[in-house]
Amino acid sequence: MSIHFTTAKKHIRRSPFQAMAAIFVLTVTFFVTTILAVLVYSSGQAFDYFETRPQVIAFLKDDATSEEISNLQSKLSTDARIKEVNYVSKEEALEIYKKATSNNPLLTELVSPSIFPASLEFSLVELSHAESLISEVKNEGIVDEVGFTASLGGEETLTDVVSKLRSITFYLKVGGGIFVAFLLGTSFLVLLVIIGMRMSSRKTEIEILDLIGATARFIRTPLFYEAVIYAVVGVTIGWLAAFIIILYLTPSLIQYFGSIPILPRDTLDLITLMLVIFAGELLVGLVLSLAGSAIALSRVRPRK
Amino acid sequence: MLKIKNVQKSFGDIIALSEVSFDVDDGEFVFITGPSGAGKTTLIRLILREILPDQGEIWLDETDITKLKVNAVPEFRQQVGVVFQDFKVLPEQTLRENIEIALAVINLQKAQWNERVEQVMDLVGLADRADLFPAQLSGGELQRTSLARALVVDPKIILADEPTGNLDWETADAMMELFEKINKKGKTIVMATHHKGIVDKMKKKVIRLGKGKIKKSENESDKKESTKDEKIKK
Repeated sequence: MSIHFTTAKKHIRRSPFQAMAAIFVLTVTFFVTTILAVLVYSSGQAFDYFETRPQVIAFLKDDATSEEISNLQSKLSTDARIKEVNYVSKEEALEIYKKATSNNPLLTELVSPSIFPASLEFSLVELSHAESLISEVKNEGIVDEVGFTASLGGEETLTDVVSKLRSITFYLKVGGGIFVAFLLGTSFLVLLVIIGMRMSSRKTEIEILDLIGATARFIRTPLFYEAVIYAVVGVTIGWLAAFIIILYLTPSLIQYFGSIPILPRDTLDLITLMLVIFAGELLVGLVLSLAGSAIALSRVRPRK
Repeated sequence: MLKIKNVQKSFGDIIALSEVSFDVDDGEFVFITGPSGAGKTTLIRLILREILPDQGEIWLDETDITKLKVNAVPEFRQQVGVVFQDFKVLPEQTLRENIEIALAVINLQKAQWNERVEQVMDLVGLADRADLFPAQLSGGELQRTSLARALVVDPKIILADEPTGNLDWETADAMMELFEKINKKGKTIVMATHHKGIVDKMKKKVIRLGKGKIKKSENESDKKESTKDEKIKK
């Protein structure tokens, strides 16, 4: 093991409370960061879900020929604002109706395919395209009526929900970002103070090392290692605590939100997501610790 | 090996050293003596490049150390073994670790550490104290630790600033025997001391400082011989 790493470990053992303070602050910072990162991810997922969810159904006139229908389907398929276009015939519409009313056979007995209109169903890439697209489709000659469906209700309700989600995601990103920046700032200052204190308490040792020919790098490396140890331990504990809580809550959350994929359903995907967050946090933690120690060390009087 | 040329150093209005010049040859043992405030420690600090002179040159072999760039100072110091009056050992490292740190500083491969450390610990007589901490050692043992740390890097020269200052007479005597033993192995030693008894006993070259100036530079044995001759003439 490197002599610098051994020295760093000795420093930590020598002043355990300073080390604990640094690790604790970093743990809290990265615990909150992990939770916020997952919240931002989940709200983004929910937002995407609702934004791409709306289904536009263009009910076709009974006299529409198959060629006209085919032309309109092709036209819609090439439109960049539209995701998928499906043709639902009168017979298929009846099947859908039957399935929906399967628990009440009386409702299906008296209906025939002729009363159901054929339709072209499509989903949107973004909700903002809904208004213009609906009016364009309404103007098509073979279109009788345009319906806008979603599990949440009509067009207005959906717009409202997406708009609210957009706001929530925005505030979560901005508010969470400010909060995390504040915590990171606090961690940075704590690291700065602790490394500065280390330098003061090691004044005699540094003086001796300097006199026997130690380079500035030799003297500073253990302090860099120490800061890195704080960062790695703090990030790992904070992340792990958040991960355990998220793992514990995931089944309930998935059940509560139903088809809205706020978290990956597959455990492997969830672990991958958490590992990506961990890698990012580790990087931020390392930058934080190295910058903090570099600034603390640069304040030491240079050799003349 | 070491050439001090017309060195001058002041601290504010106080002139610590003025027009100091002398040479130290390879393998020589030189005492720098004088009362407190004579400039002994200042001279050692100048040779160690801890401070810079206001004027003059200090040469170690082919290097004028007053012209060294800041980033070249550590490499220069790695060639100089230094022993201090207050030992300057790392209190939370064992004796062995205190010696090993000097090897880490010169970036010697770890595989070679053990042999070197054992060798110097045997030389200074501390082989059985390797795993003790400074607080568990006597003053003499601490000074021998300091000497072992200086020796382990196989320096060109050993600078000792009052190495017996904190030791009783008996321990100081043993310490000086150790220095002499090392000098006989060919190591150049420059020692600042105000301990007249030691200087008289050792019979080495002496640079006498007084108020920052060299009063006399002579070999003690020559001095005694010349005194004898003068007495005979009378």
